[in-house]
Amino acid sequence: MKVAVGDAIPPFRMERVTPERMKTVAAIFRDPTPLHWDREATRAIGFGGRLLNQSPINLGYVLNMLMDWAGPTSLRRVRTEFPNPVLDGDPVCAGGRVVSIAEGEDETVAECEVWLDSPEGVRNVTARAWVALPRDCA
Amino acid sequence: MIPSEEAMRALVGHRFPGGTYRIEHWENFLLSDATGIEPLPDRLAHPAHLFHVAINGAGTTITELFRLAESGPRGPVSIDYYDWKIHAPLREDETYRFSGGIADFTRSAREGSPTRDSFTYEIEIDDTSGGRVAEVAFRWHYWRIPGSGEPS
Repeated sequence: MKVAVGDAIPPFRMERVTPERMKTVAAIFRDPTPLHWDREATRAIGFGGRLLNQSPINLGYVLNMLMDWAGPTSLRRVRTEFPNPVLDGDPVCAGGRVVSIAEGEDETVAECEVWLDSPEGVRNVTARAWVALPRDCA
Repeated sequence: MIPSEEAMRALVGHRFPGGTYRIEHWENFLLSDATGIEPLPDRLAHPAHLFHVAINGAGTTITELFRLAESGPRGPVSIDYYDWKIHAPLREDETYRFSGGIADFTRSAREGSPTRDSFTYEIEIDDTSGGRVAEVAFRWHYWRIPGSGEPS
């Protein structure tokens, strides 16, 4: 398989973001923010008691897509913004496309525009990622 | 009460204590599961570890970052960006060294909007022989809304 500018990256889907996983992540991160485990806290700021998924996990879905596509050691850089939160119960889908390819001495790197969307068309993550391509794809 | 701009600006250059961190299998298993996948092969740690491993490995915590910014866990904090440069993959059961601190501060105050303090944090991750593994930068916005966000 050859990779070319404009190619779409096969999507990664998370069928449902669960509060149980958010609580596990809050413990691993030692994150005191109650928005990930206290429904009263999210009710107070207008999210109707739905918990907010941790942003590194939202990014994690995007990284899974990239690793599925180019391999588990392919990531070189990712710069990410989080325009909208992902809420518990949401299904989300990571997608992306190749915007440029740079050939270096040691490896060929694809610059990719990547994102995470909710089904309603809400964009939760926008990012640029630089990914080393496997030799047979470059 | 909004902290003084001078006090916040004085935090630029603050260095975290630094330290080491070792990702254990259980931690990698659970974080990988949280993103919806099985652990990666060959003891590779999920790259989403770069968020909390950088903070905790540098010898600080999310709570401490909030405290330095004179915010609290209920304070409105939002993320501007993460920028992770990865030179080598993280692996389970490897020891990594961390150093970093507060690199930048800006205050934005527009009429009709709450004051926003933005801190940029930068943390470097090396292996035990000094090889660079990753550079992690992130910027958080602390929204100064009267009556919320005081340290608890």
